[in-house]
Amino acid sequence: MKVLAYGDVLDLALELVAAGRGISDNVVLLVAGDQEEKIQGLKGPNEVLLCKDVKSYDQESLVELITSIARDFDAILLPNDRRGRELVGVIAHKIGGSAATDVSSLRLENDVILIERITLGGKAIAVEELSLPAVMTIQKGRFKPLEDIEPEIREIKAPKIERRIEVLEKKEKPRVGVPLDKAEIVIAVGRGFKKKEDLKLAYELAEILGGVVGATRPLAADLKWMEEEVWIGISGVRVAPKVLVVVGASGQQQFSAGIMDSKIVVAVNNDSSAPIFEHADYGVVMDLYQFLPALIKKLKEAKGA
Amino acid sequence: MMVTLMDIAVLIKQSLDVQELRVDQDTGKIYIEEAPTKAGDIDLNAAEEAVRIKEKVGGKATAIMLSTWGASGKRLKEAKEALKRVLAMGLDDAVLIMGEEGQKADTYVVAKTLAEVIRDNYQLVLAAEGSDDNFSGLLPARIAAELDWPFIAYATALELEGEYVKVTRSLEDYEEIVRVKLPAVIAVTQEINKPRVPKLMDIVKAGKKPLDQRDFTPPSEPKIAIRELKVPKVERKNVIIEGDVEEAAEKLLQALKEEGVL
Ligand SMILES: Cc1cc2nc3c(=O)[nH]c(=O)nc-3n(C[C@H](O)[C@H](O)[C@H](O)COP(=O)(O)OP(=O)(O)OC[C@H]3O[C@@H](n4cnc5c(N)ncnc54)[C@H](O)[C@@H]3O)c2cc1C
Ligand SMILES: Nc1ncnc2c1ncn2[C@@H]1O[C@H](COP(=O)(O)O)[C@@H](O)[C@H]1O
Repeated sequence: MKVLAYGDVLDLALELVAAGRGISDNVVLLVAGDQEEKIQGLKGPNEVLLCKDVKSYDQESLVELITSIARDFDAILLPNDRRGRELVGVIAHKIGGSAATDVSSLRLENDVILIERITLGGKAIAVEELSLPAVMTIQKGRFKPLEDIEPEIREIKAPKIERRIEVLEKKEKPRVGVPLDKAEIVIAVGRGFKKKEDLKLAYELAEILGGVVGATRPLAADLKWMEEEVWIGISGVRVAPKVLVVVGASGQQQFSAGIMDSKIVVAVNNDSSAPIFEHADYGVVMDLYQFLPALIKKLKEAKGA
Repeated sequence: MMVTLMDIAVLIKQSLDVQELRVDQDTGKIYIEEAPTKAGDIDLNAAEEAVRIKEKVGGKATAIMLSTWGASGKRLKEAKEALKRVLAMGLDDAVLIMGEEGQKADTYVVAKTLAEVIRDNYQLVLAAEGSDDNFSGLLPARIAAELDWPFIAYATALELEGEYVKVTRSLEDYEEIVRVKLPAVIAVTQEINKPRVPKLMDIVKAGKKPLDQRDFTPPSEPKIAIRELKVPKVERKNVIIEGDVEEAAEKLLQALKEEGVL
């Protein structure tokens, strides 16, 4: 059993190495040229393959590079972000392998890899047998990086490719680094807010409570009122705070799948039939424009006293 | 088959309506039989994009669905309803490949089957970034690999330029504008457009559009097997806080203090 791990963000890649160790004691980490400086002193994988002529943002070259070395491996682990998810299916198919996304646990059983992944919009966990070779994307935060082995570093050459995708323009997305997945208190806002400016109510609440503000997908991705990194749900970030206050979000399954690990969920919504109340410990059926100011006032008073 | 200027295949999955799906945490039962199925939400965005391309450059668009929900009773009816929905939006015809209920077909097998329907007949395949019930995004990627066509996921904008397509794709850290020569497979996001709501006339017309139903014969063995579906245990108190605004705020803070989380 030999495992290949690849991720464009090295911290995440080390989580993949840890995941790989659960099924093999030979885990090789592939590193792209633009990440070279970060491998100084890196620990965990048995070997590092450094490919200087491929960049981590060059999806087309990565597909070719990974498929060209895939025959040496029984499993390939990728991060469960959009880059990883764009690669996984193509690579799996090219090598005639099985595939799975959003994998939260894995182990070897005879000649299959047994994995768990969330499915049915978060309502179920599927236990799946993957035949070898298997290519999968691993959920963030499930595996703790091991810093035991000091790897050998070996340089490899990239295969020649015939480019079919021409990148005309590349715009960096604004990122503010909101630590949503690690926050203890999260305020999640939805389309119940009428205007972008009104979000200040949520920010004020977050500030008093020492928390951060996340959003539903439409608010971040469609209306673009907030950075895309803060959308919570099956296609966004999974949160696990001590307190989550969901304000003006309907709680559709794809959002609610991202809040399952929260300790206490509070929902504020003026529609008593909104599904979010099924996912909440405490529900307040009220207009957020009336309730939030009152809540903020009470919290301020309590602090002042 | 005659290929017109721009032939688009739109992949429509008969997805379980996960919002309506009932699960029992105590017994672990998942009431799949009882839940309705429908065209995936983001599949409608793919259909909308196809209709917009047709409106601009002409051509034809076909909805393609492979279902293993079984050709009997309500599931067949729902599959046809799902296809009629996108036909009413403006797609021209539909191919429905119907398997037997529970027939084993993972994305590997489905991709192999659909690739044969698509090869030689279409220049552009549009699909969703992920389906409502499985959300893996694996199928469009596998079809691209099977056909050896370029694959671009997370498209937030498309523009046809002759035999090229310009795609804006939204990745973690970057937004990229890329250009590929057709044929290509493109998976779109929910943000790419707003699917139109068909008018009554369109719905009536959709009923008369061709729907070609075929039987499904798996071309190979699947690569994965689902051993079990478990229901995650999430306990929620579901307490509704009553009273006027002031009282509710007070009671909520009290409750959070008692929980020891404030
Ligand atoms: C495959 C797939 C993946 C998806 N992934 C995600 C995901 O990761 N994350 C995500 O969030 N969504 C995701 N979605 C979209 C999801 O299905 C919902 O459409 C979305 O979560 C709804 O966002 P919302 O609650 O902000 O808006 P709405 O559903 O429009 O809800 C707004 C809510 O605000 C309430 N409201 C209105 N006014 C007030 C007021 N004055 N005071 C209080 N309440 C008020 C309303 O009663 C309503 O319940 C996905 C969809 C699909 C198909
Ligand atoms: N059986 C199917 N028939 C037609 N299209 C499908 C099928 N399965 C998946 N798709 C398409 O591929 C997308 C991604 O599906 P998935 O790989 O299940 O996340 C779907 O939203 C559809 O556009």
